[in-house]
Formats: sequence, C-alpha cells, structure tokens
Amino acid sequence: MSKLLIRSIVRPEKADAVLKALFEAGYPAVTKVPVFGRGKQRGLKVGEVTYDELPKELLMTVVPEADKDFVVKAVLATAKSSEKGNFGDGKIFISPVDEVYTISSGIKDA
Amino acid sequence: MKEVMAVIRMNKINDTKRALNAAGITSFTATGRVQGRGKGLVDYRILHAAEEGVPEAIAQLGDGPRLVPKRLITVVVSDDWVERTVEAIIKTNQTGNAGDGKIFVLPILEAIRVRTGETVTGPSGGNVLDSSGGLQ
Repeated sequence: MSKLLIRSIVRPEKADAVLKALFEAGYPAVTKVPVFGRGKQRGLKVGEVTYDELPKELLMTVVPEADKDFVVKAVLATAKSSEKGNFGDGKIFISPVDEVYTISSGIKDA
Repeated sequence: MKEVMAVIRMNKINDTKRALNAAGITSFTATGRVQGRGKGLVDYRILHAAEEGVPEAIAQLGDGPRLVPKRLITVVVSDDWVERTVEAIIKTNQTGNAGDGKIFVLPILEAIRVRTGETVTGPSGGNVLDSSGGLQ
C-alpha cells in the first residue's frame, strides 16, 4: 500500500500536544524541525512593525494512505489554539511517498 | 525526478556526505538538527545519562514520548539515480541497530534553477540541477 508524507506546520507551543496525540493514536514515528515562516496574513503586524518570520514547528510523519484522514483529524484536533481556531495555527500538507527504506535493516517497506 | 529524504544519525553526516560525493551525487541539502522518534524504541544512552543527572538528557525526556536528535538530508536526483542514492545512504548509515533512520523517496514535479530561471526536467546524471548532465 502506498504511503503519504504528512507535513504539519504547527505552533511551537502546540507541538508537544500534537506529538503526544499522534503517539497515543499509534503513530510514534515523527520528525520535528524548527522552522520560520509566514502565512496568508503576511505575518503579524504590531503597530509599525511586521513580523514575517514567525517561529513554527514542522512535524513530518509518513503514514499508510488509508490512515490519512485519521492522522489529519488527530493533528487538527490538537493543533488549534482555541475552539474556533486562529490565524497562525498552521497548515497541513500531504504528498505522496514512492518508496520507504529502513536503514538499519536495509529493507524496503511495502 | 525524485526527492530522496533521509533521516540519519547525527554522527554519520560526514560519512554520508563523502559517500554521496563518491557516488557522483554532488548536490544535496542537510537540515541542521531535527528531532525525531521512530517506532518508540528507547534510546538507552539518554536514559542512562538522565539517571546520572546530565541536564541535557533530562531535558530530552520531558513528559511526552522522547525525541532523539537526528540529521535530515535531502537529495534531488533523476529517477534512474534513486537506487544508487538509496544504496549509498544505506551502506554508510547501517549499523543494524534501531535508530539508524529512514529513507523516503518522493516525487518532484519540477526543478527550477534560480540563477537562470530555466526549468530542469530531469537530465541523466546524479546532479539534477546540472542541465548539461555532466557533473561540475
């Protein structure tokens, strides 16, 4: 079965909650990268100053295609900063993965 | 064109660089320090260090499942070079223990060279962004 790479950009303070939720949902394998970026709102404007390099955490996880909706839901449920959600809560990108190898065994995962 | 994304051990980055170079793959990107976890197998060095009271190790434990520092490397190569790239990475990074890392191969639709603005559609050669096909 083919796999998908799910890249979620979330608030740094929410990263731990998302990681925990994924772990409990049975997706322990995650890579976390600190990143800086801006979104559709063109960054944050405070008075005269614009902050367009807002710190976020990029969480990368590769999951089977069938589990996509479940994982996305788990991230969405935990990454929101409030019930309704706010600007800056982040984005989730999903891309196809052709092949997966485990280095320790050298085996290509199905 | 394919993107070969590999999460590897911190101390293997230099060997990997050398191996990729030897395999004829000169262009690649390494992301400084990423944090990751795999199937949830425990890294005992961190546990031991935490027991001995090393502050860095204790900070890693936290309350959730712990993350281990790794390096993330990204190589973009043409389709027929994927196998060679994967082989080179596996050969240099394999210790046989849990935590060696993973390799993901993803499709890349387009690559554009910033210097000239031309679209590179995947010539033969490991260095995809070299449209002449030869290695510089």
